[in-house]
Amino acid sequence: MNGTRPIIEIKNVYKFFGQLQALHDVSLSINSGEKVVIIGPSGSGKSTLLRSINRLETIDSGTITVDGKDINAKVNDINQIRQELGMVFQSFNLFPHKTVLGNLTMAPMKLKKVPELEARKRALSLLDKVGIRDKAEVYPAMLSGGQQQRVAIARALAMNPKIMLFDEPTSALDPEMIGEVLDVMVTLAREGMTMVVVTHEMGFAREVADRVIFMDHGQIVETGTPEHFFTNPEHPRTQKFLSQIL
Amino acid sequence: MTPQFSKKAVKIDIGDGAAIPVKKDSGLFNAWWLTFFGAIGIIIYLCVTQPEPYWRILQFLPDGIVVTFQVTVLSILLSLVLGLITGLGRLSRNKTLNLIASTYVEIIRGIPLLVQLFYIYYALGRLEFFKGLPPMAAAVVAMGICYGAYMGEVFRAGIDSIDKGQAEAARSLGFTRAQTMMYVILPQAWRTILPPVGNEFIALLKDSSLVSILAVSDLLRRGREFASESFLYFEAYTMVALVYLVITLFLSKGVSKMEQRLNYYERD
Repeated sequence: MNGTRPIIEIKNVYKFFGQLQALHDVSLSINSGEKVVIIGPSGSGKSTLLRSINRLETIDSGTITVDGKDINAKVNDINQIRQELGMVFQSFNLFPHKTVLGNLTMAPMKLKKVPELEARKRALSLLDKVGIRDKAEVYPAMLSGGQQQRVAIARALAMNPKIMLFDEPTSALDPEMIGEVLDVMVTLAREGMTMVVVTHEMGFAREVADRVIFMDHGQIVETGTPEHFFTNPEHPRTQKFLSQIL
Repeated sequence: MTPQFSKKAVKIDIGDGAAIPVKKDSGLFNAWWLTFFGAIGIIIYLCVTQPEPYWRILQFLPDGIVVTFQVTVLSILLSLVLGLITGLGRLSRNKTLNLIASTYVEIIRGIPLLVQLFYIYYALGRLEFFKGLPPMAAAVVAMGICYGAYMGEVFRAGIDSIDKGQAEAARSLGFTRAQTMMYVILPQAWRTILPPVGNEFIALLKDSSLVSILAVSDLLRRGREFASESFLYFEAYTMVALVYLVITLFLSKGVSKMEQRLNYYERD
């Protein structure tokens, strides 16, 4: 197996919220090690698409396979598949009743039966990596937003996922804290992690994305390299969107 | 999607317990102080100035206090078990479970507790299967079933008050639905659930006086026994009322202390 096989395959996916069509015939294939950034106006379906990949949203038709496994097939255990998919949320969603260390060790200990000492060691090295080892023993409520999000990234990494999904990871942050979170994400990207990122951070997209995807009204409107996107977008809707935010 | 950094715990106010004193509410705080020490003062005053009959009554009551606590504690334990099952049932996506839990709550909430006590002890007691059911057991079962329905609502609201993002985070790590409930939701929901449970405990303790009609010698019945032997109705029931008051006020203080402790991981 080399680094170019598709690790996520999304085929003809439709999703409705009542009358509202959230995803309309979306197909997308993401290779192992690839960094894909999804952009688009709010309500374009980009978060829904991302959340469909680990079945936080169930799709109405089409198929999504992760590492060769159809995530909606009854024979596949979604909880096993989700262990391969780290997820980072806009609102962090750290477990407030656990310390930072507890947040990182809980899933490996309960789900992978990793011994406590080993889980702690690994957690501390991850906290090192995201630059907040000194906060290991505090509760999340004591941390700033940027620190919380970095812990959330470390928590997802603690399960050794093959893929990381980011759902607007910096949208809830004060501007001065966005940088520290993006830095961690850039480091992760450099290490070769497969990443799917929904974001409005165009600087990040330009720097790390292999491919940028523009979505609008539940459809993929345009796909291309960052260079193509930011210098020469083809579709009028993409042009309009980019002109509004850049 | 709106970001929620630290969702403040929702307070569930059932409103049938004693008023829980909190520091912020200084009027109530003072009222608590006045009533609690006032009641103790009156008890002491009566026992010192008129030991006959008050001191004699006070010595007659402790057996009843013990029984009242036995009924209350056992009933609350049963109601917690039923409440957790009911609360989870009410939140279940399984329609049958949901319907069973909701029906239980509707039935129990629609029948007065006194009638339920009569029903379980006297009506069901006529059936062969329940013959010889001791009054104490009937009392605990009836109170437990009744409060289980209310407790179910407390659990449901407590679980519901936890931000949906918590479950999503847990599920995305690979936790099953049950593990998510066990390791993430319930440990947080306790904080919201415990104060109303404490409140229910106090309410149940007061309602437990109803079991005196089932020949369970609780605090009220002991007072009644004393009164009917001595014909000192005023004196006996005065002491019973004062003792109830001291107990419930003491417990409500405990609940408010517990509530403060439970906020340990929240930044103010």
